[in-house]
Amino acid sequence: MLKPTLKALLLIGTVLLTSLSSPLVSAKGVYQSGPDFIAEAFNQPPNKATLWLTNDIREQAAEILGHPLAGLRVRYHQLDNKTAWILEEIGKEMPITIGVVVAEGKIEQVKILAYRESRGGEVRYPAYTRQYLGASLTHNNNLDQSIDGITGATLSVWAVNKVAALALYYHGQVINSRDPS
Amino acid sequence: MKLKKSIGLNIRWHRRIGLSLFFMIIFLALSGFALNHSLGLKLSNTKLSSDWLLSWYGLEQAASDGFELNSGDWLYQAGDNQLLLNQQKVAQCQPPLLSVVEIEQQLLALCNDALVILTAKGELIESFTQLQGLPADLTGLIAQNNQLYLRGESGVQTFDTDSLALAPSNISLLPVNSAPTALPESIKDHLKEQEISSSISIETLILDLHSGRFFGSAGVLFIDIVGLLLCILSITGLWAWVNNQRYRKE
Repeated sequence: MLKPTLKALLLIGTVLLTSLSSPLVSAKGVYQSGPDFIAEAFNQPPNKATLWLTNDIREQAAEILGHPLAGLRVRYHQLDNKTAWILEEIGKEMPITIGVVVAEGKIEQVKILAYRESRGGEVRYPAYTRQYLGASLTHNNNLDQSIDGITGATLSVWAVNKVAALALYYHGQVINSRDPS
Repeated sequence: MKLKKSIGLNIRWHRRIGLSLFFMIIFLALSGFALNHSLGLKLSNTKLSSDWLLSWYGLEQAASDGFELNSGDWLYQAGDNQLLLNQQKVAQCQPPLLSVVEIEQQLLALCNDALVILTAKGELIESFTQLQGLPADLTGLIAQNNQLYLRGESGVQTFDTDSLALAPSNISLLPVNSAPTALPESIKDHLKEQEISSSISIETLILDLHSGRFFGSAGVLFIDIVGLLLCILSITGLWAWVNNQRYRKE
């Protein structure tokens, strides 16, 4: 039998070790490559295309993101009325790479491809990303579905929300430019 | 006799703890004094300039080399993964900046994790990252006869900046177009100024030393233990005084 003092010391030691090592546990990582995400999203090879970001698009995109947009063009893949986008947005300090598939103006899939922040990686779980399925864009360029946040991952949640809305907006630009009617 | 023995033991421990805490008590008192008068001493306005202290805080040191372009402009990397053209931030990519070429009114910069495509004026067109299919083993960019080549450990590939298409090439012995050279003093001075203005203040440094945060979780734990020992020190001091009074009465 362990003496009560030794038991207490062991307990204190365990608590201290746990609290000291918790910051080392991180959600950082690359979960899927871009080409693999695209291959998974389409039944047959899609067309590669480029959306040039005109001043109008940049203005709207900046409004969605809440900051000016970097870059003059963005790549996407398309098959009929389905498009797939790989976009990046900063959560707190580091960019999160997010894949979004849009079909018929609604989100079909959201997947976190790479997460580089030390905290907030819970946004990568399917239980969270499933909330975006079927979401479309309101006339104010907001998501028409409410997304439940995650405690401790607020900035990452905002980043995913922005990217989902941006992909829907880009999708609309691509489809509208092909079919102006 | 029993009381005398108890007083002796108490004094011995009081002395041991006091001696072991001697430097810490002096340091905590002085740093506390400095923090209390931080405004008067202007500690928050004085910034750290020591390279090792800045790197201890995770702040990147100013770049010392970069790539000189045909126009005389400089493309280089500074802290926070920033890619700069002269003094303008143009993109983000992971250091090191391996290679830079100018081709058909475009500027291409190969970083550790991405190939950054810029206009000749430095406006970001797009970044082609490893996640999007950029090979991870690239070592340099080569422009020859208006064709761009990527050199990697597994060979040379042609690269189309419009379609981002890569294709293996048989061309060999192509020299890498440029290598990094020392930045001009004007840019170095500007970077140093930027670095110092966004640096850590002496007040923060003293506060972090006072609380132990400077040394991470272990430092905070150490200061906690010092605090606990200070409590024990005052208790043993009081105990010694009380026992001494009792001993004198007896």
